Formats: sequence, structure tokens, C-alpha cells
Amino acid sequence: MQIIVNGIVSGAAIAVLALAFQCIYLPTRVFFIGMAGVYAMTPFVAWSVLKAGGGWWLAIPAATLTAVLLCLICEWLIHLPMEKKKASSGAHLIASLGASIVLVQITAMIWGNGTKSLRIGLDSVVRIGDVIVTGAQWITLGAGAALIVAFWALLMKSDLGLRLRALADNPIQFALFGYNVHLYRTFSFVVGGLLAAAASLVTAYDVGFDPHTGLHAVLLAVVAVIIGGRDSFVGPVLGGLMLGLVRAQVVWHWSARWQEAVTFALLAIVLLLLPHGLLGKKTRLEATE
Amino acid sequence: MNYLIHLLIYFDIYLIVALSLNMIVGYTGMLSLAHAAFYAIGGYAYAILSVNLGWGFIPASMLGAVVAAVLSLIVSLPSWRLRGDFFVLATLAVQALIYSALYNWTSSDAPLGSLRNLTNGPFGITGIPRPSIFGWQIKTQLSYGIFATVVSAICAFVIWRLTSSPWGRLLKAVRDDELAAQGLGKNTRLVKLQVVAIASGLVAIAGALYAGHVRYLDPSSASLDESILMLSMVIVGGLGNFRGPVVGAVLLILLPEALRFVALPDSVAANMRLLIYGLLLIVMMQFRPQGIAGDYRME
Repeated sequence: MQIIVNGIVSGAAIAVLALAFQCIYLPTRVFFIGMAGVYAMTPFVAWSVLKAGGGWWLAIPAATLTAVLLCLICEWLIHLPMEKKKASSGAHLIASLGASIVLVQITAMIWGNGTKSLRIGLDSVVRIGDVIVTGAQWITLGAGAALIVAFWALLMKSDLGLRLRALADNPIQFALFGYNVHLYRTFSFVVGGLLAAAASLVTAYDVGFDPHTGLHAVLLAVVAVIIGGRDSFVGPVLGGLMLGLVRAQVVWHWSARWQEAVTFALLAIVLLLLPHGLLGKKTRLEATE
Repeated sequence: MNYLIHLLIYFDIYLIVALSLNMIVGYTGMLSLAHAAFYAIGGYAYAILSVNLGWGFIPASMLGAVVAAVLSLIVSLPSWRLRGDFFVLATLAVQALIYSALYNWTSSDAPLGSLRNLTNGPFGITGIPRPSIFGWQIKTQLSYGIFATVVSAICAFVIWRLTSSPWGRLLKAVRDDELAAQGLGKNTRLVKLQVVAIASGLVAIAGALYAGHVRYLDPSSASLDESILMLSMVIVGGLGNFRGPVVGAVLLILLPEALRFVALPDSVAANMRLLIYGLLLIVMMQFRPQGIAGDYRME
């Protein structure tokens, strides 16, 4: 039972980051690995604000704002100009990889390569039967659930969500109806930045952070997206939770060092046998390129 | 002087790496992140065989190349079905799997190189001997430099002949329009298997050269960072012709060395190097997607 709880908690963090990725990938078709840099830098900003004497009420908005700004910088300096030149998806991917390297290295140069923690002292613990849930895990669960519900509401109940879905579905038709595609791309990067900041902060609060956690976290999120189904906004949540559960089981039954092997074996299996994911529309891959 | 020879050896190694990766990325248009994994397989094959069994360079690196070529099927078979971002992800999965196999194939109670402790895990393999060929043992740095240059020249010649042959043109045809190539009766699936196998075999030889030079090997030579470095060499230098990767290899080896002479504090130097790689990738994709001296724009 403890393992399942741990799995759900880490799955919730993966799910939020996967949503952030998907929120940018679907409307803009940018494979935004640069998010790894955003994910890496966010907790350091919060850490600096806390260290300078600001409280959590200041640290969280400052960190979130940084994340959103970084996402926008990536969009305005890199991806939008490339989109105007009609660059291919491979070119976007490589430029985005470059962006993530740059952001991670800047983070490492400012704050050093060491591991830091946002939490001071031991965490509080709540026992439910024989299951132990720490305070940080409650925060992850609560924030994760709240964000997923909020994102779902934004997507399904608001005009902005409707337009983002329309943009994801058919950008050319969307432009023909008179909407400014570039403006809505910006919105999707803002929402993606918000979600990425949240995922980064809760994980940093739970397990600590260093400048190099970003790429790994984003790759996990991408795996979650592929497992869940890349055409869907719900798939990543399901994929993230599944991935969290599986990884927790691996740690319990074998050893933490096999986590990566199992994760990427899962990715390979899903890519080959179920390329549209669990909740994706069943189309041939070539048809959706 | 030793420093210059050291640079020459690195250039030899990365010349093979960049030229062989260019066969996959530039000629056939398949963006692969798994190249460092095959490089490490070559290195490990040489290290294990020479440390445990005392094999010479040629049989050990040939066996490494064969192993890498066979394992390269797990990259090329998915390419039958997957395109674009999904193929990149599949190669990423292959890289992660091979990396974790090298990292985890260890147990503390078995001797190095036995079936239960093949790679010595994160501690790596130390004391790898300098290569010997036909009973001649390489002793000095200078003779190793000459040896590496000869090996690298042979590999480069092979790649040059292959890519300027009809088979090389078939690769470009697969890249530009696979359907049309199939329509002309070409077996595009087979050609993908061939090119990935040949490139992986060649890069395994580069890995063996690296292991023989540094004489220490750990799983980090199969890491994603290493793959990204190789990819940026090809992308910055240029895709789809012979001179592009040469330019890339020279540039990305000399650049960090140039930084050495700028008075940067040690703690920042490594970060600065990676930062420049990242910036180069962004700038190239933005303004010159075919690389400095390349022919092919990334699709």
C-alpha cells in the first residue's frame, strides 16, 4: 500500500509536467525540451528569494514568474522566428535542446552544481493505518490534483481552452477563422510555464534539486505523454500516474538503479506496439506527421 | 608537444564519430541520439577483451564493431515504423537502455569481465593497456597518435567511398523521398539496416581508440550528454556531405581548448563549454540549418 501511495505521489508530479509539455506540444508542435532548463532554474529562484528573507508568499510567485518568462523568451527568441521560417520539427527539437543546455548551464554557473533543498529540517508525517505520508507528499498530491482539475477546467470550460484545442487540432483552419495564431501560441507557452513551475517546485520541495535534474524530469514527462497518448490532453495524466506506479514497484521489487531501464523499455514497447498511446486516436503515424 | 598529439588523437576519434553519425543523420535523415551508446560498446569491448584476455587491438575492436552492428538493429528496426520526433524518442530509449546496462551489469563479488560483472558498473574499467597490433606494442604517445591517425584515415576512406557510391546516393534518396525510392524498386528498409549497422560498427572502432588512449572507461561515455555532443558536431559542421563533419569535429574540439587559454575560473570553464555548444545549436538552427559546410537542411 505504501508503495502505491509513493507511486501515485511521484506520478502526480510527472503528470503535471507531462501536461505542461503536452500543453505546448499539441498547439504549437514544438517538442519543447527547453522546458528542462525552465524546470531546473525555477527552484533556484525560489531558494534565493527564501534565502534573502522573503517568505513562501513571495518565493512561489517569483519562481513561477521566472518560469513563465523563460518559456516566453524561448518562444520569442527561438521557436516563433523558426516557425515563421517554416522550420521542420527536427530543427525545433535541436534548437530546443540547445535552449535547455544553455539554461541549465546558466543555472549551474549562477548557483553552482551542488544539490540544494527548499525544505528546512525534517518533514511532518501523517500515519493512516500502516501507510506513512509526509507533508511534502501531501503538498505534491494536493497541488497536483488542483492543477490537473484547474487545467481541465481551463481547457474544457473556457473560451481560451476551446481555442487552444482548436489550434491543436488544425492551425491553418484556426488562422482562417481570424484568430492570431502567434498570440495563442504565446498563451500555450504561458500555461505550460505555469504547470512546469508547479511541477518543479513540488518536486524540489519533496526531494531537493540540482541544476541537472531538468532533462531527466522532462524525459520522464515525455514518456508519460507517449504512454498516455499524444493526441489527448487527458492521456499525460494517466501516463504520468502509471509511470509513477511502475517506477515505485521497480524500486520495491528490484532496485532503484533499474528504474531508468524499465522506464525506457516501457517507452520502447509502447512506441512499437501502441504508437498512438493508451488514449490516442488510432491513426497511422505517417498520417499525422 | 604531447598536448598537440593528444589533440590530434581526439580529432582522429571524433572524426570517425562525426563522419559515421553523418551517415545516419545527414545522408539518411534519421536523427539518432543513440550513437554514444555504440561508441561505448566499442570501448567496452576493447577494454574487456584486452584487460581479461589480452587480445590485440584489431581482433578486439573488430569484435566490438560486430557487436555494435548487431545491436544497432534495435535502432534501425524501429525506423521502419517511426518517423520524426518518435524515431528520436526511440533512439533515446535505446541510449538509456544501453547506458543502464553498462551501468548495472556488475556485482561486487564477481571478478571484472565475468558474466556477472561484465562492466564493473559505475566504477568503470581501469588499467586498459595501450593497443598492440601484430605483436607490436604501442608504447609512446607519438606512436599512438600515428596509429590513431592511420585507423581514422582508413575509416574515413571507407565512409568516403561508401557515401560517394551508388549506395550513398540511395541513402540520399531515402532521406529525400522514401516513397519514391521504394517506387523505383529500392529496398529502403534494408538500406536503413545497412547504414545504421555500418555507422555503429565504425563508431565502435572510435570507441576502442578512445579506450586505448584514455586507458580508463566508465558508463559516462554512453551518456546522453555524449550523444548530444556528437550530434552537435555533425549539426554545427554540416549535414549530408563529407567535409561538414570534418569541420564540426575540428571546431568542437578546438573550441573548448581555446577556452582553456582564456583565464576562466575552473568551476565555470566546464559549464561555459556546454553553454557554447547549446548556443551554437540554437544559432545554427536559426540561421543556417544545414550547418557551416553542409548540404542538407534538417527535415
